Amino acid sequence: MKLLTKTTLYFLSAMLTLLGITGFYLFKQFSKGLDERSDKELLAGELEWVRYLESQAGQGTAFILRSKEISIFPTDAPPEDYPVISNAGDYTYESGVRIPYRQLSQVVSIEGLSYQLTIKKSQEQKTALIKSFTRIMMIVFAGLFLATILFNWVISRKLWRPFRQSLQKIRTADLQKMQTIHFEKTNTREFNELNASLNFMTGKIYDDFLSMKEFTEDAAHEMQTPIAVVQSKLEILLQDNNLTAEQVEAVMQAADALTRLSRLNQGLLFLARIQNNQYTADSLVDFEEITRKYLALFSELIKEKQIEIKTDITGKFKIQLHYLLADSMVSNLLGNAIRYNYPGGQLNVTITDTQFCISNTSQLDAIPKDKLFKRFSSTKNRDISSSGLGLAIVKKIAETNDLEISYRMENGIHLFTVSKNK
Amino acid sequence: MKILIIEDEKPLRESIKKYLGYQGYICETADDFALAREKVATFTYDCVVVDIGLPGGSGFEIIKELKYLESRAGIIIISAKNSLDDKLKGLGLGSDDYLTKPFHLPELMARIQAVLRRRNFQGSKFIRFNEISLFPEGRQVTVNDTVVELTDKEYNLLEYLISNKGRVLTKPAIAEHIWGDEYLQAGGYDFIYSQIKNLRKKLLDAGSGDYVKTVYGSGYRFTDR
Repeated sequence: MKLLTKTTLYFLSAMLTLLGITGFYLFKQFSKGLDERSDKELLAGELEWVRYLESQAGQGTAFILRSKEISIFPTDAPPEDYPVISNAGDYTYESGVRIPYRQLSQVVSIEGLSYQLTIKKSQEQKTALIKSFTRIMMIVFAGLFLATILFNWVISRKLWRPFRQSLQKIRTADLQKMQTIHFEKTNTREFNELNASLNFMTGKIYDDFLSMKEFTEDAAHEMQTPIAVVQSKLEILLQDNNLTAEQVEAVMQAADALTRLSRLNQGLLFLARIQNNQYTADSLVDFEEITRKYLALFSELIKEKQIEIKTDITGKFKIQLHYLLADSMVSNLLGNAIRYNYPGGQLNVTITDTQFCISNTSQLDAIPKDKLFKRFSSTKNRDISSSGLGLAIVKKIAETNDLEISYRMENGIHLFTVSKNK
Repeated sequence: MKILIIEDEKPLRESIKKYLGYQGYICETADDFALAREKVATFTYDCVVVDIGLPGGSGFEIIKELKYLESRAGIIIISAKNSLDDKLKGLGLGSDDYLTKPFHLPELMARIQAVLRRRNFQGSKFIRFNEISLFPEGRQVTVNDTVVELTDKEYNLLEYLISNKGRVLTKPAIAEHIWGDEYLQAGGYDFIYSQIKNLRKKLLDAGSGDYVKTVYGSGYRFTDR
């Protein structure tokens, strides 16, 4: 629920209670006034009746009167000093509408005879009063309701704008460009506090990101030297003619693992550098040229695996990209298409003005979407010489250079497409 | 041939010294900036292998010093940093080559020989191994003065094998020298076998001795013994 809706609801329910209390109080006040007037009339009426009774007392007969509003009859009860005025039970007209009435009753003594005197006075106005009060309160509430909604609409548009702007900035925040984000000063104190905190936070995040980045690079560099030491020692060891076959195998296995470690390290470092935008797109690269270069480089492998290469070039796919990234992109895609192909399989390169496609046959299943461009996700099918970073690198290059990379698999053909982002 | 190895990591320094020693090079070493500067100022070397990150200073300063002294020594940078900027800076200062750690020792050997040959220290523009001669300028190979037609990669392979004659060369080391770093993206090293086979056949057909030996379990060795 929106904060504003919430506050509105609270406000309105508070208003409703308040209006209820006000209405009730006002009704009480008016009703008290009405009662007082009724009481005066009742007392005046009683006085007249008593006078009338006294004037008739001389005739020596007991007087009895019973009507809807008045009843007078003799009684044995002792006379009372004061009349009792109360709101008595309803009586019902034929219509069934309940109407309250005020009642005065007293036992009076007239010339030695006790009479029970009861006078009733209808208070029909009270019902009308409740009705009109309720109506007024309803109108006030409705007016309040509409006004609140209107105000809120205006407030949410105007007052909350800085908040929404800040929110939008946070939503689109990119770790790479964190230092360019600035939350401006507003004329609302709360938002200023929020924005100041956000500025502090983004600054801190960016600083942490920078030191993390440096750490990654430094760590990767520092690791290369010990790897170099081990590799050189293994190579010296291999020169020893007295090694047994078992020892040679152990050294070779160690060397393989070391190569993998080193490549992994370089791959991660490369990824970090791409992410840090260390490669500026400063040259116009032609993907056909690069493809030919790598087809030549991999020619022995292609021949060895008897892979049939088909090229369909109908245009020039030229883009602004750092040449190292272009090389990496093509060599990774092409390399995968050869590596995961089967002997005697096919490899197609299709280049148009807007697209660069590499497709290949493979016995492997389609790569699940959620794992496609993830690091180290292809562990199951990976062979020993793969770093598991290739597609992650390709994706990262695409992401940072306004390119789009897509993948699909149809009839045993895996197809990767690189295209310019519109 | 006198080579100075400037590297602060002792085990790596020793490995390099030992490997270059196998190939008949005399190596001196320096483990920090001050000693390295003193040595390049005092002695003459044919080639200097220098690490960039040194205790007490940068390897770039050593290169500047060598240039200031108008040294004719070949300069090869070995650095843990695979950075384009550093490579360009090194080459700009006048170094001949840049090798990123970790590297294969035979690779360093091949680069040193290439640098030395370019500087013409050996006094000859060709490489000889018994009846085989290589002419790097025209990338030509002769066996007993008859030209052997080799592909580019076969030529590189032969040059690499001869540069490291007598040593065991592993498939990864060979693959990386000839196909570069990126070959691994496409697959393993198995295809090297057929490359070696082709080269060996061409040389044998031209009448050379059978010098390319398979070392069981590890790789290949080019030797006449």
